[in-house]
Amino acid sequence: MASCHEIYEDSAVYSKKNKILLMGNPNVGKSVFFSQLTGLHVMSSNYAGTTVTYTEGAMQLGGRQYTLIDVPGTYSLNAVSEAEAVAVKFIESNPLAVICVLDSTNLERNIKLGLELQRFNVPIVYALNLVDVAQRHGFEIDVERLAQELGAPVVRTVAVKGEGFDQLRRELEKIVSAPGCKPAFRPFPGDPWQRAKQIAAVVRKRVSVKPSLLDRLGEAMLRPWPGVPIALVVILASLAVIVSGGKALESLLLIVVENIIVPFFQSLFSAFIPEGTLLNILVGEYGIFVISFEWIVALVFPYVFLFYIVFSFLEDSGFLPRLSVLFDGVMRRLGVQGGSIIPIMMGYGCAVPAIIGSRTATTRKERLIIAAAVCFGIPCISQTGALISLFASFSPVLLVLMFLLSLCVVAAVALVTSRLLKGDVDPMVIEIPNLLMPNGKAYLKKLMLRLRAFVFDAEGPMLIAVCIAAVLKETGLLNFIAGYLEPIVSGWLGLPRDAVMALILGIVRREMAVAPLLAIEGLTPLQAFVGGTVAFLYLPCLSVFGILAKEFGARVAVAIGASTAVTAFLVAGLINQIAHLVI
Amino acid sequence: MWGRRRQKSKHRHGVVNRKHQSNSRICCLYSAQDGRQYVVTRAPEVGLLRSLGIVENAVIKKEKTYRLGGPVLLRIDSSEIAIGKDFAEQIMVRG
Repeated sequence: MASCHEIYEDSAVYSKKNKILLMGNPNVGKSVFFSQLTGLHVMSSNYAGTTVTYTEGAMQLGGRQYTLIDVPGTYSLNAVSEAEAVAVKFIESNPLAVICVLDSTNLERNIKLGLELQRFNVPIVYALNLVDVAQRHGFEIDVERLAQELGAPVVRTVAVKGEGFDQLRRELEKIVSAPGCKPAFRPFPGDPWQRAKQIAAVVRKRVSVKPSLLDRLGEAMLRPWPGVPIALVVILASLAVIVSGGKALESLLLIVVENIIVPFFQSLFSAFIPEGTLLNILVGEYGIFVISFEWIVALVFPYVFLFYIVFSFLEDSGFLPRLSVLFDGVMRRLGVQGGSIIPIMMGYGCAVPAIIGSRTATTRKERLIIAAAVCFGIPCISQTGALISLFASFSPVLLVLMFLLSLCVVAAVALVTSRLLKGDVDPMVIEIPNLLMPNGKAYLKKLMLRLRAFVFDAEGPMLIAVCIAAVLKETGLLNFIAGYLEPIVSGWLGLPRDAVMALILGIVRREMAVAPLLAIEGLTPLQAFVGGTVAFLYLPCLSVFGILAKEFGARVAVAIGASTAVTAFLVAGLINQIAHLVI
Repeated sequence: MWGRRRQKSKHRHGVVNRKHQSNSRICCLYSAQDGRQYVVTRAPEVGLLRSLGIVENAVIKKEKTYRLGGPVLLRIDSSEIAIGKDFAEQIMVRG
């Protein structure tokens, strides 16, 4: 699955006319504004740094079309990070206007950036977002006074609920329809920090309210007690929902596939294709129209679906940064920092967004450690789904063992790479977002976006793998190759000959390194575990290989690919040999 | 690079220490007592920290120190920030 934030960096965008920029601190809801104003859906989450590069989209305003650009969130315009450099480049590229989104719950810092933006002499409309959350915290903000102090229009918004956008559009229209009109910002003495604090002090009024249940829970989750037990319960509950929900959906879909879809294609094709290799390739035991439905629709999709239901909820709630804080001490010992937990957790969905998400890391070394840990030790959700199906016929103990093995591998990879690689990993600096109940509409949009990305990006390579499988099996080529690989597959790993299929297909996609094992009858629990271990440690899939090469260069991609493959055969073989010695 | 930066800032802290010795106690944020307000006297030149408002003379409230090499949790204005131990040891505060 590719990320939903396209990674295209086209320099032509800077020279585009009719640009309106969407700017502000990280995690103030810019991406939600972008979705609301353009109708395009981009990913948003409740932690800093969801947008690591810009996104552009068309926006209609008073019958004319403008280009709206979602600029990565920045705390200042000093170009100290990649994101800030991009932001500065945009504001210097002669935009028509800027929508500066302010977070009402962090006025000082947000106003400071708002003031820094004024130095570039571009008309600005300020959107005071998250006013509902500020109210919950007991703050009232005087919008008219704020507009006076800033010398520019200010609009109150609650972006996730779509409130305030009509007024925002009206204000924008006024600005862009009066070209050449220079903004009337008043210069202020002293530095922006002091001025921001002054403004915040006059516009904000504290009305006392009792902290809400969510706020108290948010605080409790930051303390080791009861934070760590709560975190463990949340993770275990998430796993339980994914596994049990996925299983239920899987058995439902399997009934549909086996009784309706497959028989339909079998009768359709056998009506006008004579019996033989071609018919077998299409609808035989390993036929394209049989396994593509059995494997992709019934075995993989349910888990992908449930994973994103759970993960998107965790992302939007503000749970992940709290997890980073609680486990920073442990992560630090492994040579990384707590903030890396977020991209690593994303890896349980798919390694591609995890590797792109690691761009928020401040050093290349940290990025490489995250990428290596994800490629080696984290099975993606498609593969996890296939592993769950594989182990289901034996014992849930195997699944728990595999999960523990995954944690050990991640820890070992982080320990080794952090010592081998040159350079530094900066200590954690993380802002804790408010704990929020995910908003229904925004949450559903994000879920749809992810499922669509799965269907479009993953389905292609999966179908290719299925076609290769069908041709190899039905033409007898598989037996031929298996003969050569017999010493490794049967001797060292102790797997049946047919498991060769898994090794061949695993090059294309990770779950395809597991799926063929499901079709082998008479597998012992040890063989299932060894086969699962090879699959889980085996090569990163083709898309991951591509993103590694793109982000770190071909050398790194080849190094990671080669070492995961070697580790897979080594570890799985050792498990097999040791188990045989013991038993 | 990292080691060098740390050494340099330690040297600077020494200077600050002597200058402010008379009016109040200066210590690093990591070892400062929890639940109290402090004024930052020296912060490392790290972009992200400065952007979040951890600059000289900023008023912060230290909320919590996590044990076993964990971070420091602090409140600045209305935001809550966690800072890893190695940075927290370089931030000097006056109580």
